[in-house]
Amino acid sequence: MTSHSRVSRSQARLGRSIVLHLFLTPLALVWLFPLWMMVVFSTMPDNGIFSPDIELLPHGNFLDNVGNLQRGTNFIGAIGISVSVAVTYTFLSVMLTSMAGWALARYNFFGKGMVVAIIFGTITLPYAVVLIPQFIMVARDFKLANTWVALIVPPLFNSLGVLFMRQSFSMMPHELFDAAKVEGVKEWRIFLFVALPLARPMLAALAIILFLASWNNYLWPLLINSKPGAMTAPVALGTLIGLTKVSWGGIMAGAVMLTAPMLVVFVLLQRHFVAGIAAGAIK
Amino acid sequence: MRYQNATAYRFLAPYLLIFSIFWLWPIIDSFLISFQATRTVPWRFAPTFNWGRLIGDPAFFNALKNTLLILVIQVPVMISLAIVMAVLLNSPLLKARGLFRFAFFAPVVVGEVAYSAVFRLMFNLDYGIINKLLNSIGLPSVDWFTNVTPAMAVIMMAVTWRWAGYNAIILLAGLQSIPEDVYEAATLDRVSKVKQFFYITLPLLKPIIVFCAVLSIIGTMQLFTEPFLITERGGPGGGTETLGLLLYRQGFRSLNFGYASAIAYTMAGLAIAISLVQIWLTREPK
Amino acid sequence: MAAVTLKNVIKRFGVFEIVHGANIDIDDGEFVVFVGPSGCGKSTLLRMIAGLEDISDGEIAIGGKVVNDIEAADRGIAMVFQSYALYPHMTVEQNLSFGLRMTGNPKADTERRVKRASEILRIAELMKRRPRQLSGGQRQRVAIGRAIVREPQVFLFDEPLSNLDAELRVQMRVEISRLHKELGVTMVYVTHDQTEAMTLADRIVVLNAGNIEQIGAPLDLYDDPANRFVAGFVGSPKMNFLAAKIVGADNGAAVVELVNHRGARLRKPLSDALPAIGGDVVLGVRPEHFFDAGQGDCDLTLKADVAEHLGSVSYVYANSGTGGGREELIIEREASRHRANGDDLVVSIKADRSLLFDATGARIR
Repeated sequence: MTSHSRVSRSQARLGRSIVLHLFLTPLALVWLFPLWMMVVFSTMPDNGIFSPDIELLPHGNFLDNVGNLQRGTNFIGAIGISVSVAVTYTFLSVMLTSMAGWALARYNFFGKGMVVAIIFGTITLPYAVVLIPQFIMVARDFKLANTWVALIVPPLFNSLGVLFMRQSFSMMPHELFDAAKVEGVKEWRIFLFVALPLARPMLAALAIILFLASWNNYLWPLLINSKPGAMTAPVALGTLIGLTKVSWGGIMAGAVMLTAPMLVVFVLLQRHFVAGIAAGAIK
Repeated sequence: MRYQNATAYRFLAPYLLIFSIFWLWPIIDSFLISFQATRTVPWRFAPTFNWGRLIGDPAFFNALKNTLLILVIQVPVMISLAIVMAVLLNSPLLKARGLFRFAFFAPVVVGEVAYSAVFRLMFNLDYGIINKLLNSIGLPSVDWFTNVTPAMAVIMMAVTWRWAGYNAIILLAGLQSIPEDVYEAATLDRVSKVKQFFYITLPLLKPIIVFCAVLSIIGTMQLFTEPFLITERGGPGGGTETLGLLLYRQGFRSLNFGYASAIAYTMAGLAIAISLVQIWLTREPK
Repeated sequence: MAAVTLKNVIKRFGVFEIVHGANIDIDDGEFVVFVGPSGCGKSTLLRMIAGLEDISDGEIAIGGKVVNDIEAADRGIAMVFQSYALYPHMTVEQNLSFGLRMTGNPKADTERRVKRASEILRIAELMKRRPRQLSGGQRQRVAIGRAIVREPQVFLFDEPLSNLDAELRVQMRVEISRLHKELGVTMVYVTHDQTEAMTLADRIVVLNAGNIEQIGAPLDLYDDPANRFVAGFVGSPKMNFLAAKIVGADNGAAVVELVNHRGARLRKPLSDALPAIGGDVVLGVRPEHFFDAGQGDCDLTLKADVAEHLGSVSYVYANSGTGGGREELIIEREASRHRANGDDLVVSIKADRSLLFDATGARIR
């Protein structure tokens, strides 16, 4: 009796497991398909992409396509700008965000409720509302169009990151900070030498998400840095899409160059990635 | 409690400075600009100029209709799919979990431009891989980008592909925070797995589902890149033009900032309404 | 080294007052323990002395100097926290020296102080390790070491032993006592554990719901508690409280009837004014103050429920049966291995080994 029911139980588990995989595997393949095709297209000559044959395996034309791309726009230069901007942005934004999160987690101060309300309020406020005045201010009033400052500074404000860091700091045992305080350590040193080192995993998650956001940012760089030579890589690539005489193999090679580094980072640091997104670190 | 105003504001200063310059002032400014006629310099105060135009502008209602249509179809489909992904990824029976996670989560890191390009190429009429595959199983080609309905479908598929995994990550974290013993207790009470999903998982997950839905709605409401790049500036003939795209055209192509601001504030109004619905949906039962 | 004085210290959180005017004088070099149930305000009081909480009203002085507006770091105190609060990303050595390094103390002096602390606490071989590589007891030593390094005038301990297991707790208790003798410094120690308070303190401050119930030497609190709360809190197992009534008075003594014990009466000599006849009172008897039948002033017949045999003594959980209300009592007996369930048990109490409290809990002496 018992052995019989044990067999049927494990059979039931096996059955459910098979159904699960039968459902999930095709879905996963569909989901991987666009990425796979991106890679395949990037390795095919243009006359191969626009041929009636079904091609599902990579060819060997990647470097030629990069050459085609580079002839259409200075993509390598744009990648350089994107990397520099993303690195600078990430560093500044992590500092700014964690300082603000620390202030909200550790201190009581006049206007705290107001600051928290503002941050929560802006989570659901569409970016569109600030876009036009931001553009007018940066381009017309500050005359900063087509500069790095224009790319880096306006997007520094983010609300979910601050909430994430506030949460991270308030989950640390506050006795640690009290102990340092009793020892006469100044608050900014407590922040730098006690709080930040303890927040390292959270900072990693935050930094990855912020870097990704900057790397992929499209609308704002499209508007503010539209001059050739000042464009970020996504903007430079975007200018080619929709042109009539353009190398699609080149565009796909560009797409791969934008995507592959992030995929590698994602695979290596999946834990931090997932933590950052799960905490709603950024939209 | 002890108030430490000086210390706190020293830490907050850079953040609040950026906020004031690049958010607080623009929020106000945007509102002011929406009441100005901005097509001739100098701008002048004309309260009904833009808002009056908005009410009677077929292009605006077309964009509003398209945006709402995408919202109503794409967001529920994506959230349901994300819930399914999260629940199945959380199953203890799953093998090769890492591979499945990669498949569903990878789109999260793909930039809008890169994936727009791929989708555009995949859905090409004559040489797109999708039509080739349809033909190979005996189905006719679909002219994806010259008819409104398939063009909308491509936009929705693209957005769903890009963001379903993102929502699944958030939902999966929510699932993992539900204590195992709740399910063990239910199993001992002979509650079936399916019923456990509907009577335990979904109710406990509800605040997170609503959070995902609101973020998705607000994201989709501002949809810009996909109709800009995939369907070629909202084509065919404005059939996939969204509010985001209309705002871009009015503001940055026609440089009609006043009208664009009015459109922006309409979007803000919608967002506030949706947030209020969220608060109402997730309120604590008395 | 310094005395600590609290003058009418009040703490409010918003509209809630949680310490209602504490007056405590702690002598230079004294070991004082604040004890009370959780939420009694003892930790808040300590954190106010430390400077981690603002003082809503009143005055705290350390070494004769009012410190209300002085930063925690400048009060000459060091604190040992319940969670140890060791910085997890630093080695033991870095933990000990962190405060001094951050405040620009000369390097040679920092090294000297760290060395001295490590010798006093015998943790020299742990200096390169990180907190997560240490046992609970070792972490506790490092936490104390970090306090020693500051060379403070006053040591503050916030429930430092509550995260240790029972055996280590005894060991560290002895260690802290030794440290107090060695350093001769004022120590203020907060705990909810009356055993720790009894064993460590020169004087104990018993707190309850934000009020000081009594201040005194451990055995004074045990022998002569000011009220029912202190009587119940000090001593383990707890004192028994027997419902009683004043039924008569003669010659400076009250006659007390134990209402749940079939009219058993005790003549209790009092120095205070005699309470009114007919008034409800409570008679407190410690478990160790029950005697064999006939040996005391009043015999009680009980039914034994359960006995706990600890080896050296046995605790019998007994009840008064059905005469009047049922009353549960704990009685200490000499070690015996007899089964106790349902046995009849006759014990005797003595007037001078029992305490009388009025209905409000105040002591009647």
